[in-house]
Amino acid sequence: MSTPNKTIQEKTAELSELVSWFDSEEFTLETALDKFKQAEALAESIEKDLTALKNDIQIVKQKFDSEA
Amino acid sequence: MEKIQYSVSDFIAITNQTLEYAYPSVEIEGEVASFKVNQGKFIFFDIKDAGGSIGCFMTVWQLRVPIEDGMKVVVTASPKLTQWGKFSLTVKAVRPSGEGALKKSFELLKAKLDKEGLFLEARKRSLPSIPQHVAVISSTQSAGYADFIKILNDRWGGLRVDVAHVQVQGAGAPDQIIRALSYLNSRDELPEVIVIIRGGGSADDLSAFNDEQLVRAIAGSRVPTLVGVGHEIDESLADLAADRRAATPSNAAQILVPDKNEIIRATRYQVRSLLPRVESAIDQQSVFVRTIISDILARAEQKIEHRFEQLTAIRSVLTQLDPQTVLARGYGLIRGIQKVGGMIEIETNKAIIKAEVKNVHAK
Repeated sequence: MSTPNKTIQEKTAELSELVSWFDSEEFTLETALDKFKQAEALAESIEKDLTALKNDIQIVKQKFDSEA
Repeated sequence: MEKIQYSVSDFIAITNQTLEYAYPSVEIEGEVASFKVNQGKFIFFDIKDAGGSIGCFMTVWQLRVPIEDGMKVVVTASPKLTQWGKFSLTVKAVRPSGEGALKKSFELLKAKLDKEGLFLEARKRSLPSIPQHVAVISSTQSAGYADFIKILNDRWGGLRVDVAHVQVQGAGAPDQIIRALSYLNSRDELPEVIVIIRGGGSADDLSAFNDEQLVRAIAGSRVPTLVGVGHEIDESLADLAADRRAATPSNAAQILVPDKNEIIRATRYQVRSLLPRVESAIDQQSVFVRTIISDILARAEQKIEHRFEQLTAIRSVLTQLDPQTVLARGYGLIRGIQKVGGMIEIETNKAIIKAEVKNVHAK
């Protein structure tokens, strides 16, 4: 199950793995609902992360107009 | 008035002092003639126009763009009188002047660096698909930088962006960009990509990105580089030396990070596409179950039919054994005591007869 500490890449990889499970031979109807709910929660979490994250833009203090 | 008498050396020195005071740095435009390099270190040429010619001297390392005879250039120089009494210009910088000279210089340097393999595809490194820490070299006041940051923020979040503010045009620009590159390449926490951007401009504005030392610094960067200079049609040598070329600063942002809105759409689609798969599995399962049920029903029906057939046969046998059937065939059923004088009852198909026994004998 996904945890809040995971990066977007990790969550995306986890979602891809879940999606592949539905095409694999391990697929069973009994666990499909559970896996589907996990996929839904992951997608929601990825969307939330992507929407909330802001870039941290810092101007470096170093000046480049003359030799240091 | 007392006349001042100088020695030759003093007069040369005083003349140079006067020249230095009057023209500490002067820009002169003219055409290059008699260009030559001595001992691989010293460059001599004349700069001339229709009305005159002046000798120029500079070192090889000061020459940042290739020049040749006939090219129109602007030299930044200090005038000097040599100890042999020859007037010359000590050149600090040369830049091609006019579109023709810029193009010529560009082609000369391009051919030279290409021969050295600086633009080879094999040298190019791939950029990380989703970087977490990048550095940008640009002028923070430029429109190109503003475009880049806007597109970057629209497309992605959570990125650490270190920005080195530099001049992106003019004589000082190449050295500033080189210093910024060197600084970013020597930090403890190296960025995953260094992005160099500058918006559109004239050929002269963009000529900083055709500076030989800058192009070499980009090619030699430890950190992979992404260069987006000018518009789509502009090609700079910095572009060619970079690991990845962007057509514009906005395009650099598009190359650098994926579009979060596309990822959100793709993620939603991935999850939505699971439902039909589950539904199809349910359908398959239903068909399987229905087939089994119908098979069971068919077998049950067969068994029931068989039982019915058996029952009918038994019923037929039973019907044959029914006394009424026997009576219908003309037989009679006798009840009572079968001895002389005894009363008996005879039942036929159609009547019940009471009779007295007159005679009884064994068969």
